[in-house]
Amino acid sequence: MDFTFEEQQVAFRDAVRKFLMVEAAPEMLREIWETESGRSRDLRAKLADQGITALSVPEEFGGIGLGDLDWVLINQELGYYAIPDSLSDTAYLAAWLLTRLPSDISLKKAWLPRIANGTARIALGHPVNPFVADAQLADLLLLWHNDEVHAVQRDQVKLSFNPSIEMSRRLYKVEWTPSDATRVAPARIGRDLWEGVLNRAALAVSAQQLGLAQRMLDLGIDHSAQRKQFGKPIGSFQAVKHQLADVAVKIEFAKPVVFRAAQALATNRPRAAVHVSHAKLAACEAAWLSARRSMQVHGAMGYTWEADLQMFMKRAWALDAAWGDRAFHKTRVAKFIFAEGSELGPGDTFN
Amino acid sequence: MNLQPSTTDEAFRAEVAEWMRRHLSGRFESLRHRGGPGDEEADPVLRKEWERELAAGRWTCVGWPAEHGGRGLSIEQQVIFHEEYARAGGPGRMGHIGEGLIGPTLIAFGSEAQKRRFLPGIVAGTEYWAQGYSEPGAGSDLANVQTRCWQEADGSWRVQGQKVWTSLAHESEWIFVLARSEPGSKGRNGLSFLLLPLAQPGVRIQPIRQMGGGSEFNEVFFDGAAAEAGHLVGKPGEGWKVAMGLLEFERGVSTLGQQMHFAYEFDLVVKAAQANGSAANPQVRQRIAQAWCGLRVMRYNALRMLSGGEGPGLKREALIYKYYWSNWHRELGKLALDVLGPAGDVVSDDPRIRPLQQLFFFSRADTIYAGTNEIQLNLIAERGLDMPREPRPTA
Repeated sequence: MDFTFEEQQVAFRDAVRKFLMVEAAPEMLREIWETESGRSRDLRAKLADQGITALSVPEEFGGIGLGDLDWVLINQELGYYAIPDSLSDTAYLAAWLLTRLPSDISLKKAWLPRIANGTARIALGHPVNPFVADAQLADLLLLWHNDEVHAVQRDQVKLSFNPSIEMSRRLYKVEWTPSDATRVAPARIGRDLWEGVLNRAALAVSAQQLGLAQRMLDLGIDHSAQRKQFGKPIGSFQAVKHQLADVAVKIEFAKPVVFRAAQALATNRPRAAVHVSHAKLAACEAAWLSARRSMQVHGAMGYTWEADLQMFMKRAWALDAAWGDRAFHKTRVAKFIFAEGSELGPGDTFN
Repeated sequence: MNLQPSTTDEAFRAEVAEWMRRHLSGRFESLRHRGGPGDEEADPVLRKEWERELAAGRWTCVGWPAEHGGRGLSIEQQVIFHEEYARAGGPGRMGHIGEGLIGPTLIAFGSEAQKRRFLPGIVAGTEYWAQGYSEPGAGSDLANVQTRCWQEADGSWRVQGQKVWTSLAHESEWIFVLARSEPGSKGRNGLSFLLLPLAQPGVRIQPIRQMGGGSEFNEVFFDGAAAEAGHLVGKPGEGWKVAMGLLEFERGVSTLGQQMHFAYEFDLVVKAAQANGSAANPQVRQRIAQAWCGLRVMRYNALRMLSGGEGPGLKREALIYKYYWSNWHRELGKLALDVLGPAGDVVSDDPRIRPLQQLFFFSRADTIYAGTNEIQLNLIAERGLDMPREPRPTA
C-alpha cells in the first residue's frame, strides 16, 4: 500500500492551485454569481488552457488520458477555490462515459476532442439527482432512462430553472422524450456505465468537500488570529483553537478514505462502490464540521453576506446532498456489511 | 412537586385557545407560524396590528404585574399562554424586546417617570424597542463597549459610537444603549444605560445582509444622538448592573414561547420525513427520536428553572439553558435539511419546505448570538462549578 501520489500528479495539482489562487479570488466569484448564466467563459477558457479539460480524454481524441487519481487532486483545488462551474461533469464524468460507450464512434469523435479543447459543455442527468446542473449551457446532455444512456441536444429538451440556496449553482429540471434516435447505450451496458458515473461523481464531490473543508478551516484560522476580544486574538483561547484543531483532525482522516476510493475506481476493485460511499460520508462530515466550527469561530460575522465564509459553507451544504445524500451512501455501506457472506474479518480489512 | 394541571389552569388554557381561534383569523390568517427567528422580516406592518389586537384582548405582557398593565400571571399560566399561542400558530412577537427585555428591566431598575412613560406603549403595542449592546469590538467581550456618552449642560445626554447586530432597529421607535460615560474607564465600570428615540438626526441605521439573503439585523450609528435627561436607567456608571439584569430576563420566561415554536418546527420535520419516505430510514428515525427526547428535556428544565423564581436572579440550572437549546436547535436544523435531501437545496415557496430551509439557515447562528457556546461553557465552569477563571489580560 502506498498513498503517495506521483511527482507529476502533484506538480500538475500545484500548477492548477497557483493558477486558481490568482484567477479565482472571492471577489471575482461574487461577480460571476451575479451574472445570469452564473458562469464565466473567460474562466472556463483559462481552465482549458491549463489542460484540465483534456485530463480524462484519451490521447487518440486529443486528450491526456489520465484518470480518477488525477481528478481527486484537481477536484480538491476546485473545491478549495469554490469554482462556480460544473467543470468536472464535462471533463471528468462525461469524458469517462463517452469514452466507454459501446460503439458509436461518431459521437466520440464529435465530442471528445471538444471536451479536450474546452469548447464543449456536457450536462449529466442521473436519477439520484432531481436536477441537472448547468443544463442551460450544455451543448449536449447525457441522460439516464431506465438504465439506458441517451445523448440529447439542448434544443430537444425543455428546461425549468430552480434557484439553489447556493448562488453559484444553476439547477434545472429537464423534460425530454427518449427515442431510438437518442439512445446511445442499451440498459444492459448502461447500467454499469451509470454506476461508474455515479461513483466518479460522488468521488468528485468528496474531493471537492475536502478542499472546501480546508478552505473554511483556513478562513477560520485567519479570523481567529486577527479578531481580538478580551485584549488578545481569540485564537489564543483554548476553547477556540481546539474547535479548529478538531477540524484538522477530521480532514486528515478523511483524505486517505477519499484517496482509497479513487484508487479503487482507477483499478476497478470489486468493492469500489463501498469505498466511494465511505469517502463521500467522510468528506461530507469533514466539510460539515469545518463549516460549523469556522462559523462559530467567525462569530456573528460568519453569518453575514459580507464574510467570504458563506460562499464556501453554502457550497459544502449543497454538495452534501448531491450525487447521493447521506442516507443513500450509508445504505450502500450497510448493504455491503450485512450482505450474506460479506468478507469482513481479518485478511479482508484493506480489500 | 406537583406536575398536574389544576382545574383553573385548564379553564385558562381553554380561554386562551378560544381567543386565539377567534382572533388569529380573517386578515390575520396569513400570519400563522410566521415571523419567528430567521423570518423576522415577515409582514411587519400586519404583525404590529396583531400586537394591538393582542393588546386589546390584554394578551401582551401577561407576566407583568397588574399595576404595570400586565395580568400578573403565575409561571404555570404564562407557560400555558405561550403553549396555546404557539399551538395556534401565533406569529413571532414584534414586541418581544419591549415585553421580554426592556419592560422587566424598567420595572426592576427604572424610575417612576420612566415606568409611566414607557410601559404603557409596550403593553399597548404602540412602541417598539431595539437592543443596543454589541459593538464591532464588543461581542463575546461585551464589556469592551467603546460607544461614548456624556451629559450636556441642560442635563440631556449625547451618544457617539456604533452598535451592531441590532435586530429590528428599522422597525422600532426606541433603542436602549450601553455606553461609556466615564472617559478612560475600562470593562464593566463607567458604563451607563440610556433610552434613545431612533428617529432623530444623530442616528443612522444600516441593514446587514445575512448569508441567506435577508436583513433582520442592522448596524446603528450614533453621531451626537440625544437622550433626555430623565432617560438614563439606574445611576451613571451603573449601566453594567442594569444590562446584566436584563440579560437574565432574556434567558428566562421569554424563552418559553421560543420553545413552543421549536415543538412546532419539530413537528414539521417529522411531517416532512413522513411525506418523502425518509422516516423509513433508521438513521433518520433515530435522530428524530433523539430530537424528541431533547425537546422534552429542554422543556422540563425550563419549567424547573422558572418554578419558584420570581426575581431576575439567575439560578444555577439557568446557566445550562442557552447552551442546551442552541445546540439542540442547530442540530434540528441539520436534521431538517438531511430529511429534505436534494429538495432542500432549491429555493422553495412550498410551505412544507421553506420553513425548514429557514430553520436550517437561522439555526446556524444559534450557538453564536446571546452568548456563544464558548462563553456559555465558561459561565458554567466559572460560575456554576467555581472553577478558576480564564486569565484575562490586565486592563
